[in-house]
Amino acid sequence: MSSISSHHDAKPKHDLKIALHAIVCHESKLRGDITIGAHTIVHPRATIIAEAGPIIIGESNIIEEQAHIINRLPPGADPSSQIVMEIGNGNVFEVDCLFESTKMGDQNVLEVKSHVGREVEIKSGCIIGAACKLTGKEVLPENTVVYGRNCARRIAMDKPPIQTLQIEFLTKTLVNYHHLKKPRSANS
Amino acid sequence: MAYLVRNDIVQYACTCGQLRPISFLYFCRHCLKLRCGFCVCHEVESHYCSNCLEILPSAEARLKKNRCQACFDCPNCLNTLAVRGTTVSVRDPDDPGKVNSQKKYYHACFFCRWTTRDVGLPDQAVQTVSANGWAQKNTSNVQRITVLLEHAKLLGMLERHEREQREKKFTARFRRNFTHLPGLTAAHVRKRAGLPPELPAPSTIKVNLAEFQPAVAKETVPELPTDIFTKELDIGTVTTLTQRFAQPETQPDSIEGLLPSYKHLSTKQSQRCRECEHNVSKPELNPASIKFKIQQAAYFYVPEVRIVTLEPLIGGKPSEVVIVFINPSQHPTTLSFITLQEAEEEIKQHQTEGTTDTAVQQGEAPLSLSSLTKPVTVVEEPRPIDISMTGEVQLPAADVEIVLPPKDDAAEYDDSGEIQQFHDDPKIVIHRRANKASLRFTVVPKTDIAGENCVIGFAFRYTYVNRISTPAIATSEQKPQKVQLCTRIFMNCGKILEGTQ
Ligand SMILES: [Zn+2]
Ligand SMILES: [Zn+2]
Ligand SMILES: [Zn+2]
Ligand SMILES: [Zn+2]
Repeated sequence: MSSISSHHDAKPKHDLKIALHAIVCHESKLRGDITIGAHTIVHPRATIIAEAGPIIIGESNIIEEQAHIINRLPPGADPSSQIVMEIGNGNVFEVDCLFESTKMGDQNVLEVKSHVGREVEIKSGCIIGAACKLTGKEVLPENTVVYGRNCARRIAMDKPPIQTLQIEFLTKTLVNYHHLKKPRSANS
Repeated sequence: MAYLVRNDIVQYACTCGQLRPISFLYFCRHCLKLRCGFCVCHEVESHYCSNCLEILPSAEARLKKNRCQACFDCPNCLNTLAVRGTTVSVRDPDDPGKVNSQKKYYHACFFCRWTTRDVGLPDQAVQTVSANGWAQKNTSNVQRITVLLEHAKLLGMLERHEREQREKKFTARFRRNFTHLPGLTAAHVRKRAGLPPELPAPSTIKVNLAEFQPAVAKETVPELPTDIFTKELDIGTVTTLTQRFAQPETQPDSIEGLLPSYKHLSTKQSQRCRECEHNVSKPELNPASIKFKIQQAAYFYVPEVRIVTLEPLIGGKPSEVVIVFINPSQHPTTLSFITLQEAEEEIKQHQTEGTTDTAVQQGEAPLSLSSLTKPVTVVEEPRPIDISMTGEVQLPAADVEIVLPPKDDAAEYDDSGEIQQFHDDPKIVIHRRANKASLRFTVVPKTDIAGENCVIGFAFRYTYVNRISTPAIATSEQKPQKVQLCTRIFMNCGKILEGTQ
């Protein structure tokens, strides 16, 4: 990760926008131009790095401990170009997952230690199973489930449920034990 | 822990000639030999379901085709399905205006997120689903299979009948000896003589056989769908071979045909030494318990060997290897080193002794009568060890003895540094702590094989305190006996580097 932070130093853009009702723990590592939507939970020790351009995270997402969301510059790309990473609503980034793609829809789950590469576009309702790695160039259709040692796939009937109860619970508990980053709009 | 011993860097030669890491070996305390998974008898102790932990007697397990009747496997990824509850609103049949909420259950897989709803199975009203018609949906072949099984049984009976007819000469005498005894039925006699139960008369078998209808070859096969060559195939809807084999009754080719199958039962197994028929491992019956009644793993009896440090290995050049020896037993042990050739000769000598008198084993008294009544066990010839040595190891002289103190669980927390005097040669023993001793060896890899692994082999003798008192020796000697055992070790010391000069 050291190479990323050094890159980031070259681009001095600290534009953190946190919407009202979002819970962003102070111990999380946020670098660059990041927008976090309402009711989104960012756990302590989660890492979000906007290196190649802004990261826009929607509403009601859960970003767990050690999760990495990184908008990385593609190798050999012009450093002045801007790539926007967009993450929809109701997604769950479980412990130690790595998300580098630039587009994610709604209600997806990235399970523990999963890895989604830069050129994978995720639609809605997808589940990337524990330790599954997607590094090719593709568009995951809706409700795709990637599971198991060989990253087998299937299309599920329904989307995974939104974690409303979990978000409510975390909103109540995290404040008791952690300092939060203050909600702040882009203009203030 | 597992990564320290469960690798193939240090391998022990089993009595049968297999090479195994120490964690894969048993040590029979009765014949004082190493045993591996290949040279023990595996016996099924109990059948149980790993999901609901229910024990089934083996007869019942066979009747239920070794499957649990309450748990299901995911037909998609073969993991266990979990029950999930939901509340659904149902319109009241009596009062159309009213809506009732009802608790419903369905099965879902936590790994691949397959649910019974995916294939249109209706939700269940009860949590414990069993015999709900999922698995029995396609049982069209069951009848035919029963007929075939019956037929095969009859054929077997007929064959046995013919064989018995041929052997009648010998068995007739046997029967005469028993039948005069009062209170013995024919079935009893057969059982005592070690024969299978009486067969029906061959004539009735033949009548039954004649009733069997053989399969008829059909020429009309179902047509292929007309669009099979034109329709684009969606690979996501085709089942994998694993999925089809998990469902042998239907073998669906589309994922729509996947049905939950009853969960396979697991077994608890015990291992028995093939030579002396004592158990070397016996688990507790309770499926929730991970403990053993008998567990004679080599790890608890045979000194463990690990490589500590290595100098770079260069072909033809001596380099220093530090190896630690750990005594796992409750008694001190004395180590001495011999070459593989010497060890092999020693083993051969034991074998020739063993063939003359099987009961005498390394200082054990003859078992007299008990050995006569025991069934004859087949002692297999150990196979030659299949490994090629790519390095020479220089061992300490054969008369150098290294004493290892017994394992003391408290010693780990004891920092007093109490040093025992062992009179070691500092050139050989470079470090000692509790029941461990690090020894210095010199390895000379072969020349001209740079890039290959340097494999060395040697043997060591160690003393073992035999605390098992067989009835025969219990009367003569009460003391636990000290015996000297020998184990062959093979080590992979890593890649040989190119010589610089
Ligand atoms: Zn063996
Ligand atoms: Zn069960
Ligand atoms: Zn599954
Ligand atoms: Zn034995």
